[in-house]
Amino acid sequence: MGGSSKVLGLTAADQASLLRLAILGLISVVAIGSRLYSVIRFESVIHEFDPWFNYRTTQYLVKNGFDKFWNWFDETAWYPLGRVVGGTLYPGIMVTSAAIYNALHLVNVPVDIRNVCVFLAPVFSALTAVATYQLGKEVKSATAGLLAAAFIGIAPGYISRSVAGSYDNEGIAIFLLVLTFFLWLRAVRLGSALYGALTATAYFYMVSAWGGYVFIINLIPLHVFALLAMGRYSNRLYVAYSTFYALGTLASMQIPFVGFQPTFTSEHMAALGTFGLIQLVAFAQFLRGLMPARHFQVVVRGALVGLFAAGAGALVVLTMRGVIAPWTGRFYSLWDTGYAKIHIPIIASVSEHQPTPWTNFFFDLNLLMVLLPAGIYFSFRELTDNHVFLILYSLFAAYFASVMVRLILTLTPIVCVMAGIAMANALEAYLDFRSSSNNDGGGSGDAAQPADTQNSSSTEPSGAKRMHGWLGRTVVVVNLMYFLWMFQFHCSWITSSAYSSPSVVLASRGPDGSQHIIDDFREAYYWLRKNTRADARVLSWWDYGYQLAGMADRPTLVDNNTWNNTHIATVGKIMASDENTAYELARRHDVDYVLVVFGAMLGYSGDDINKFLWMIRIAQGVYPDDVSEQAFFTAGGEYAIDDSASAAMRASLMHKLSYYRFNEVMGQHGFDRVRRQQLPTKVELSNFAEAYTTENWMVRIYKVKELDNLGRRHRAAMAFDGGS
Amino acid sequence: MRLSASLAALAASLAALAAARSAAGDRLLVVADDAAQYSDLLAALARRGFAVDVRAAANTSVALSEDGRRLYDHAALLAPAAKRVGAGLTAQAFVRFVNDGGNLLVAASSAASDLHRALAAQFGAEFARPGSRVVDHQARNATADHATVAAAIARPAAAAPILSPDLRGPVYFRGIAHRCDPANPLLTPVLTAARSTYSTPLADPPLAGRALALVSVLQTRRNARVAISGSADLFSDALAPTNRRFVRDLLQWTFQEKAVLRETAHSHRLAGAAAADAAAAVTAATHQPEHYRIGNDIVYDIALSVYHDDAWHPYVADDVQFEAIMLDPYLRLTLNRTRAKDTATATATATASATYRGRFKLPDRYGTFTFRVNYKRTGYSNVDVRDTVAIWPLRHDEYPRFLTAAYPYYVGSLVMVLGFLALCAVWLWSADPAALANNHHHPAQPPNDNADDDAAAAAAAAAKSKSKPSKSKQKQKQKSS
Repeated sequence: MGGSSKVLGLTAADQASLLRLAILGLISVVAIGSRLYSVIRFESVIHEFDPWFNYRTTQYLVKNGFDKFWNWFDETAWYPLGRVVGGTLYPGIMVTSAAIYNALHLVNVPVDIRNVCVFLAPVFSALTAVATYQLGKEVKSATAGLLAAAFIGIAPGYISRSVAGSYDNEGIAIFLLVLTFFLWLRAVRLGSALYGALTATAYFYMVSAWGGYVFIINLIPLHVFALLAMGRYSNRLYVAYSTFYALGTLASMQIPFVGFQPTFTSEHMAALGTFGLIQLVAFAQFLRGLMPARHFQVVVRGALVGLFAAGAGALVVLTMRGVIAPWTGRFYSLWDTGYAKIHIPIIASVSEHQPTPWTNFFFDLNLLMVLLPAGIYFSFRELTDNHVFLILYSLFAAYFASVMVRLILTLTPIVCVMAGIAMANALEAYLDFRSSSNNDGGGSGDAAQPADTQNSSSTEPSGAKRMHGWLGRTVVVVNLMYFLWMFQFHCSWITSSAYSSPSVVLASRGPDGSQHIIDDFREAYYWLRKNTRADARVLSWWDYGYQLAGMADRPTLVDNNTWNNTHIATVGKIMASDENTAYELARRHDVDYVLVVFGAMLGYSGDDINKFLWMIRIAQGVYPDDVSEQAFFTAGGEYAIDDSASAAMRASLMHKLSYYRFNEVMGQHGFDRVRRQQLPTKVELSNFAEAYTTENWMVRIYKVKELDNLGRRHRAAMAFDGGS
Repeated sequence: MRLSASLAALAASLAALAAARSAAGDRLLVVADDAAQYSDLLAALARRGFAVDVRAAANTSVALSEDGRRLYDHAALLAPAAKRVGAGLTAQAFVRFVNDGGNLLVAASSAASDLHRALAAQFGAEFARPGSRVVDHQARNATADHATVAAAIARPAAAAPILSPDLRGPVYFRGIAHRCDPANPLLTPVLTAARSTYSTPLADPPLAGRALALVSVLQTRRNARVAISGSADLFSDALAPTNRRFVRDLLQWTFQEKAVLRETAHSHRLAGAAAADAAAAVTAATHQPEHYRIGNDIVYDIALSVYHDDAWHPYVADDVQFEAIMLDPYLRLTLNRTRAKDTATATATATASATYRGRFKLPDRYGTFTFRVNYKRTGYSNVDVRDTVAIWPLRHDEYPRFLTAAYPYYVGSLVMVLGFLALCAVWLWSADPAALANNHHHPAQPPNDNADDDAAAAAAAAAKSKSKPSKSKQKQKQKSS
C-alpha cells in the first residue's frame, strides 16, 4: 500500500500516526472521565485519609513557598513530639500540584488549590496512558501500545488509587513508574547515555513522589543481573546502567526523606552490588581482549569465586555490625505474610497490607489477568533484552501483589502491557483479512524493530490462515471483541460502585432508591473547628489523625504517619484502660478532647470498636504488663460488647465512650447493628463529658474534664451535682 | 511628662484605697439568724471596707446569684443550725458559688444541719455525728460541760501565710469536730485540738486528739477560698476577746485580703533580644518568636506580686521554679529575682511585682514544649503559668557546613573531580588512533591503542556511545521511510 493511497492528502503513515494520536487522545479522555464518578456523585472533595495530609501540606506549600515547606516542622502533629514534615515526606505530589497551581495563576486562571489536588490523579492517569503506549510501542508495536494504553486507562487496579479526590502519592507515581521503565528500556535498547540520564531523571521524580521507588531500584538491577547471567552483556547495557545508577542514586539522595539510605540500607544494596558487578564484567571483557583465552578462563574463575566470597562476607559482616541497616519489618512481611501479625501489629492492622484474596485479582484486573500469561508466552517467543525485563517485572509484581493488597497497583501496568502484547499478537494474526500473505507493512506503519519481530514470527499468520478461513477468524475476533466489551463494562461498574466513594462522605440508598448522604465525619470535624480552642489537643485512633489535622485543624496525638509505635501504643492503652487510668494518661498528654467513631447506629462496620482489638494488640506490644488481649474476650472466647462482655471490656474507655447514653436512643433492649448484640445496659462515665455526637452517632466527641475545682473525684462531684 | 505619670500613679493608688480591701471585691453576704451575736465581727468587717449584707437564714429573698452572675464576692454562713437558707439555697448552690469564684465561710455547731454536712463534705471535711460536740476535760477555762475547748493553732509547715506568725495563745472553740478527708489534697486544718480533746458521743473509730480538726481551710484549684469551722461561736462576741486575732487572720485569708498571689506578666524570648531593651522586657512580648530552634538561649521572666495590707507588693521568694516540659521535664531551674525590675514596674502600674528571671539553653530535642511555672504553696493563691512553645529543628542551612571529620571525603571528591578532568584531557588530546604509528607519548595509553582492534573492550564504552547515536539515527531513518 505505502504511499499509493492518499486520503485527505495524507500518506498511509501519516494517517496511521493521526489515528494513533486521535486514539490516544480518546483514551486520555476516557481515563479522565471514568475517574470523575466521585465528583459527580458527591462533590469535589479530598478522599480517605492520607490524601488529607497531602492536601494540607500542599496548601502549606502554596501559601508559604518552597523554602518554608522544606523546613516545615509541624508541631500540631504527634503532640507533643511534633513531626519534621519537610524531612519525612515525599514532596513530589505537593510540588507538582503547587507548580500546576502557580502556572495556572500565572496565566490568570484562578483555580482553587483544592481542585488542582482533586483532579491531579485523573490528569496523571491520562499521562500514564501515554507513557504506557510508549512502553508498549518500545517492547512490541504501536498496536500493543495502544491496547496497553487503553487497558491502563480503565483498569480498576489503577483506578482504585487515582479517582478524582484520591490525592495520593500513587496518583502520580504510577505514571512515573511506567515512564521510568519505558526510558530504561529505550536506554538499554539504544545504549544511550542520554536515555540513561533521562531514566535517572524520571527515577528522581519517582523517588520524590513515592516510597515505591524501591521497586524500581531493585527491578532494574535485577534486569541487569539477569542479562549478565544470561550472557547478554553488552556495552549498551553497561552505558545505560552505569549512567542510570550513578545519576539516579545521587539524585535520589537529594530527597531528605531518602537521604543516605541508598548507601547503607539493604533495600538499595542490590543496585549497588549490580553496579559493581557490571564494572567487573566490563573489566573482564576488556581483559579478554588482552590475554589468551586460556589464561583468561583461570583469571575469571578465580576472580569470580574470590569476589563472590568477599562480597557476601562483607555484606554479612556489615549487616551484623549494623553498618548496613537490616531489612525493615515491612520488607520481611513481604516474604512471610504471617510475620507482621506477630511482630508488627501496626503494619498488620492496615487492611491494605493484608494478603490478597484471589478474587481481588479478578476484581481489579478481570480479563487482563487471563492475558498476562499469554503476554509472558509471547515475550518468551522472542526473547530480547526488553522482553526479559517484562517477564521479570511480571513475575515479581505478581508475587508482591499476592502478598499485599495494595501492591496490585504496581502489578497493573505490566499486566496491561502484557495484555496489550498478547492482544496485539492475536489481533495481528486474526484481523489480517487480506488474502495475500506476504505484505504486512501497511497495517500499522510500525517502527523498524517491531517490524523485525513480525517478520520473525511471520510463519504464524500464514499458518493460521491455512487452518482457519474467514469464518474461523471472524469467530475468534468477535469473541475477543466480546471479551473486551465485557471488560469495559466490568471496569466502569467497579469504578462506579467500589472505587468512587470518598469515605469521608458516605451514601446510602433508601428503599425508594433515593440517595441519603451521611456526612457525620465532616460534621464532627467542623464542630471541633468551630467550637474548641485553636490549640485543643484531640485524641483519636491514628486513622483519623490526618483528617483531624486537615478538616478540624486541631493538634492530634497520632496520625496516619505511623512513625512512633510507642505513641500509638499509648493511645491504644488509653482506649483500653479503665476510666481512671485513662484519665490520668490523657491529662498527662494534655488531651482536651477524645474522638471515637461508632457505627452501631448505622451498621458502619469500620468503627473503633471493631478496630479495638488492634489497639489492644498494639498497646500490648509496648505495655505487656498493663494491657492483655485475653482480658477482652469472654470466658467463651467471644468478642462481646453486651452485658456478657469481660470486665476489662466493659471497664475500658473505648467501650464506655462508644456506648455511653446509646441506649437512650436505641431503647433499653436496643441492638448494636454492627456486632449484632444487645446493648450493654449500664454505661457510666464520670471523668469525660460528652461534648458532641453527630447526627447518626457515627462520631462521638468527649471532653476530658479538668480536675475538680474542689479536689473531689469526678464521680462524687457528679453524684452531688446531679442532686441539685 | 514625669508629672503626669506620677499623677496617674497617685490617682491609681487613691482608687485602690477607695476600693475594697479584699482583692476579690467587697460584696459580703452574712447569713446569720442572730446578727447581734456577731456585732464585733461585723463591725470589724465593715471597718475593713466590706459592704456587709446581713440576712436571716429564713429570709426567702436571699440569693447568691442572679442570671448566672454572682451577687456577692464572699459569703459567710453563720447560721449554724439553719436547715435551709433563703428560698432554696442548697449545698449545690453554695458549691456553685465557690466554683464561680466566691469565697465562703461555713460555720456549724453541734446542731449542724444536713446542709452544713453536705456542704462541708464537698470540701473534704466530714463533720462528726449529728449532735456530737468537742469536749476537753483538761481545758483551763473549762465551763461546766467542758465543751468550750482551748484549741491549738495548727501550723502546718507552710501555712504561714494564713495566720500571722506572731499569733499565739489559745483559741476557744465550742462546737462540732470534723475529720479531713485525706483524699482531698486541697484541704488544710488550721485549728486542731489538744491531745486530750475528743468528740462525744464516741464514734468508731473515735475522733479524738490530733485526728480531730476544728477549723480547716481550702483553696480551690481556681483560687476561691473556703473556711470550715465546726463552731459558729468561735466568731461570736462572747469569745471575741480571745479569738479576735485568730478570726481576723482567718477571715482576712478567706476573703482574700492577704496572701493573694498573682502573676502580673511573663515572657520568654531569645537571649540576644533581652539585652536590647531590658526595661520593657517583662511586659513586652514583642521578642517572642513564633517558635524557637533547638539549642536556642532563652530568657524567661515572670513577675509575681502578692496582695496584703491593701496593696500589691512584690512577692519575694527563693523557690520560684521553671520547667520546660515535653511529657517529662527536660529542664527545671530555680528562677532568680532581678532587683532592678521591681521599681520600674512599680511606678509604671501602681502594682509592685518582683521579677524572676531564668536563662537557659533549650535541650537538643524538638517538639512542643510547655514552659511552665507551677507555683503552689499552701496559703498562697496558685500560680500556674503555661506557655506552649514549639521548638523546631534546625533549618537545612543551619547545620555546620564543614566538618573536620569529613575532610577525607572533601579531599576524596576533589581528587575525583580532578582525576576525571585529567582523564578527559588525556582522552581528548591523546594520539589519534590513526596516528598509532607515532610511537609512545603516554605510557598509560596501551588500552586505548587496542580499542579499535577489539570492539568489546570495556575502555571503548565511551567510544561505543559515540558510535551509537549514528546507529540509532539510522534506525530512525528506517522508521520514517
